[in-house]
Amino acid sequence: MLRFLVNRILQGCVLILIVSMIGFAVINLAPGGPLSQYAMTPGMSQADLDRIAHQMGLDRPLPVQYLDWLGNMLTGDWGRSYRDQSPVLDVVWRHLGATLLLMGTSTAIAIALGTMVGVLGALKRYSIFDYMATVGAMIALSIPTFWFGLVAIFIFSLELGWLPAGSMYTVGDQSLGDYLIHLIMPSLVLALVNVAIWSRYMRTATLDVMHQDFVRTARAKGLPRWRIVSAHIVRNALIPMITLAGLQLPTIIGGALVTETVFTWPGLGRLFIDSLGYNDYPVIMGLLMFSAILTVIGNFLADIGVAFADPRIRLG
Amino acid sequence: MKKTPLKPFDPKSPMTHPSRRGFLGMTMIAAAGLGLGGFPRGAKAQASGQVIVGISQEPTVFNPHLLHIEVDEGIHWAIFDPLFSVEPDGTFAPRLVTEVPTVENGGVSADGTEWRIRLKEGVTWHDGTPLTAEDVKFTLELQKDENFRAARRTGHELIEEITVVSDTELTWKMSSAFAPYMAILSWTFIIPKHAFGEGVDPNEAPFNQSPIGTGPYKWDSRAPGDNIQLVANPDYYGDGASIERVVVKYVPDLTVLYTQFRTGEIDVIALQGISPDHYAEATALPGKEVVLVPVGTVETLSLNLANPVLADKAVRQALYLGVDKQTVIDALYYGLPTATETYMPQQSFYYDDTLPTHVYDPEEGKAILEAAGWVPGSDGIRVKDGQRLSFVCSTTAGNHVREQLQQFLQQSWLDMGIEMEIANLPPAVMWSDHWMQSQFDMAVAGIIFLTGPDPDTTDYFHTNAINAQGGAGQNTFQFSDPRVDELLIEGATTVSPEARKPIYAEIQQTIREELPFLPLFQRNEVRGHAEALQGYEPNINVRITFWNMQDWSWA
Amino acid sequence: MSNPQTAPLSSPATTSVPTRTSALRRFARNPRLRKFMRHRLAMAGLVTIIVLTLACFIGPYLLPYDELYIDLRARFSPPLTGAHIFGTDPLGRDIAARLFSAGQISLTVGFLAMVLSTLIGTAIGLVAGYFGGWSRVGLMRVTDAFLSFPSIFLMLTLAAFLRPSPTMITLIIAVTSWMEVARIVEAEVRGQAGRDFTIAARMIGAPHWWIMFREILPNIMGPIIVAATLTVARAILLEAYISFLGYGIQPPLPSWGNMLNNAQQYLDSAPWLAIVPGVAITLAVTSFNFIGDGLRDALDARSVN
Repeated sequence: MLRFLVNRILQGCVLILIVSMIGFAVINLAPGGPLSQYAMTPGMSQADLDRIAHQMGLDRPLPVQYLDWLGNMLTGDWGRSYRDQSPVLDVVWRHLGATLLLMGTSTAIAIALGTMVGVLGALKRYSIFDYMATVGAMIALSIPTFWFGLVAIFIFSLELGWLPAGSMYTVGDQSLGDYLIHLIMPSLVLALVNVAIWSRYMRTATLDVMHQDFVRTARAKGLPRWRIVSAHIVRNALIPMITLAGLQLPTIIGGALVTETVFTWPGLGRLFIDSLGYNDYPVIMGLLMFSAILTVIGNFLADIGVAFADPRIRLG
Repeated sequence: MKKTPLKPFDPKSPMTHPSRRGFLGMTMIAAAGLGLGGFPRGAKAQASGQVIVGISQEPTVFNPHLLHIEVDEGIHWAIFDPLFSVEPDGTFAPRLVTEVPTVENGGVSADGTEWRIRLKEGVTWHDGTPLTAEDVKFTLELQKDENFRAARRTGHELIEEITVVSDTELTWKMSSAFAPYMAILSWTFIIPKHAFGEGVDPNEAPFNQSPIGTGPYKWDSRAPGDNIQLVANPDYYGDGASIERVVVKYVPDLTVLYTQFRTGEIDVIALQGISPDHYAEATALPGKEVVLVPVGTVETLSLNLANPVLADKAVRQALYLGVDKQTVIDALYYGLPTATETYMPQQSFYYDDTLPTHVYDPEEGKAILEAAGWVPGSDGIRVKDGQRLSFVCSTTAGNHVREQLQQFLQQSWLDMGIEMEIANLPPAVMWSDHWMQSQFDMAVAGIIFLTGPDPDTTDYFHTNAINAQGGAGQNTFQFSDPRVDELLIEGATTVSPEARKPIYAEIQQTIREELPFLPLFQRNEVRGHAEALQGYEPNINVRITFWNMQDWSWA
Repeated sequence: MSNPQTAPLSSPATTSVPTRTSALRRFARNPRLRKFMRHRLAMAGLVTIIVLTLACFIGPYLLPYDELYIDLRARFSPPLTGAHIFGTDPLGRDIAARLFSAGQISLTVGFLAMVLSTLIGTAIGLVAGYFGGWSRVGLMRVTDAFLSFPSIFLMLTLAAFLRPSPTMITLIIAVTSWMEVARIVEAEVRGQAGRDFTIAARMIGAPHWWIMFREILPNIMGPIIVAATLTVARAILLEAYISFLGYGIQPPLPSWGNMLNNAQQYLDSAPWLAIVPGVAITLAVTSFNFIGDGLRDALDARSVN
């Protein structure tokens, strides 16, 4: 077990290092730079831009800049945003809440709906409902999320006027209801794909559990059907899903990226798109690192989850 | 559209009439001088209510002297004060100073190299510390600090020594006279020395995230990626704000921004304004006022004169004749911008209205090309001396209207036997060496040629401003004309506006004749606000339309 | 893959072809093909893809409008205005014509990205699975590493900082999509490597490449084809995502993704700008997913009776 742990941690570190090198190289070797957006400022001259680049250390050789950045990062200093001069970790932290709120809500919806659809599909295997759910899941996996979001905005905001077209809250009215009404569309749109994935997995897991001995025993004991389903089948089918949840961890920022863009949600995805637009190198690198670390942790947890969940399923 | 003639500042004449706010400010000072120092605060109306300003870019830089974009200046104007400001009519009005320095009042020496500034008494920073001449000295010296990433040093570099005479008076010497320095100072916000203690890196000072100013609004809070909130400064030395709270809300998508304006979720659409395609609909909205606000940006098709094809003046003239400008403005821009023939904003005192007007005449264009020896080759594209009449046009990728413009021009010019390829670049690539080192053939670029109300454009047209030829400036056209070089230097060192006017008229005529860029139009921003909001006044001499929030009030 | 002689769909290599008709008849009688044909969704997907591809590659010649022709007087015509069946865009260009030529690019990008990533994945999987030992450990570690890259972030960073052309976008998608194939192939090859015919081939002194490509590869074509089909779907979707965010294929070159990039601005005044290309993407991706599903059912050894 210890060997496994050490091995995985080492692997994770190498992975993160590779991501950082690729990211740093691509960002810095590409033509242009973080100062070019200021070229059109009235009165700006090349001399000013050169001076500022020098003050920021952007004219140093790339390996020097990388090692400098890496050294600082290891000591917890992820640099400062070019855009607002605050430390990168602060910037990430300030946008994390919005993303967690959106992801949390949408994951909750996805789990609830996905479990329901999956279990029902398994119980009524080969029924019209099951068939529709299967086809529906395939289509849901095929629709571009951003387009689904656009269509939703068109129908529910612009045509019907029922829901706000974007933002997280109305300024001045930060009540719970206000947050909720702003959450509805983005979280449902984001949940769509996850409902599809979750329901597919849940259906398979339920089918597996249904043929286990303890279910047969429960049925023989004459327990009511709803109790067998809720207390035995669903509960046991959910165990392997923990692994799936672990694997979903890294998608926390990535998954919401497009949805945040369409619904102008002030989360990490938006931050990333904005930072790309402004060439805010430290923040781009910070988010790359953040997502790489999350990915490593997510995979690690999923592996542990498998190790723990497997024997329990076999033991039934 | 209504034109406001821009009257220039003339240090030799006492025409610097103060604005209403400035005037009241001075009255108060005068009153204080008469022994009425205990002017009761209660006399000032209590600020109340709130206004929500919607913008499509996020303000993130709050130290006004660090590199920033125009939207940041909206916040700067609310929190800070310059020594004096430039008003919509082009005159200067005192802010922190008792009077705008002129030659008459002794503020500026006759040769323009010695300056004296007198500050108002009793002005305090938001944290209660009194403003002193040391703060002004600090601000000006910070621009030259080796370690400080000052956005611009032009003008400030000429300052040689600053002497603090008293808490409210300072003087400095300049190595040479520089007429545009008045305009530069009107954009230079004074920041507090005490916020930058010993050993504090001015680039990373806490001040940069929670600014302290002397302005009508105080910093309250910031929700990154969403909004910034400011509250009225009850101790403001002037009139002060009548609206208690300002929420500057960042909505990156123009459609969402407009939708929120329509539903009343935001009171004002400021930066980027209402997108042109919504203009007609917006003017009909009940309870909203929608106005076209001229801004100083001139949309150009910038040409690189070092390109072998575009170096030919006949080609440039033919290209211009082939631009159906009116159709472009009417169809692609919904008729909102104002066609122009020059780089000078039409509101400027220096604007030359005698320039020849552009006509759309592709046949004439073809004739010019034929006469210059450009004849159609086998593929229909014209050729001269083995050189095909072909070039690449670039602009910021993702700017949809510009992309539409390019494709429209591509089709128009192809009919004349001119081939234009489109290769757009991400902003970071477009405006880096590609632009600054003149690596483009043709670029669609919106340029603000002036710094404030001053007509100086040495940075854009002087031979020494060509970066690609070892110069330093913005002359990316690689335009070089000995006569223009002379005129530019003469203009920058001439103080009287009347004397400067013919100089800049001649420059405009040469530029129109030589066409280093094809001038398309001067931009107008579609600004919208709730009808009940009063005091929203545009100012072509500053970069941002929500510059005067302290004058806003609810009816 | 119990019997290597009843080879899957596209491996005529192991089938002798005496005459054309008999080959066709044998092909038609193939139980897997029949099973696939019975898969209604897969058939619907296949028909849709064929129609869509034909429309994209032949359609432009049948339409009265050129996709580049600008007519500012006709801008923002809603669908079914005159001969503009899908309406026009902000420059008055025919959306149908643009949709089809955009489809050529999007489908080509999707298809080429699939080919590339399948080639990379198969090569890595084959070598890793066949040789085993350290090469397996090494190669599969690399695969795992790529799998756990924060792909969306990395892809966007690459697309934003490298000059985005169709070739570049294809490469970026391929480089981030080959890992599934590699894993599948590696697992399959490991199963094949110890089998009789492989051992026999090795005993008669056949070179490694011959065994890998002539003996093993044909037997694992089924899973590769399934994975490849799903990769096309994924690649089309990814192109749409990158282009929608503005970092993909750049105008004036149209792609389904970048047709949508500008659409949000006109959502209330010209919703068809968003709806038409979105439907095309969804149709194409759903179809490929259905086909993949059908192929999986048909080629799954266990499910062949």
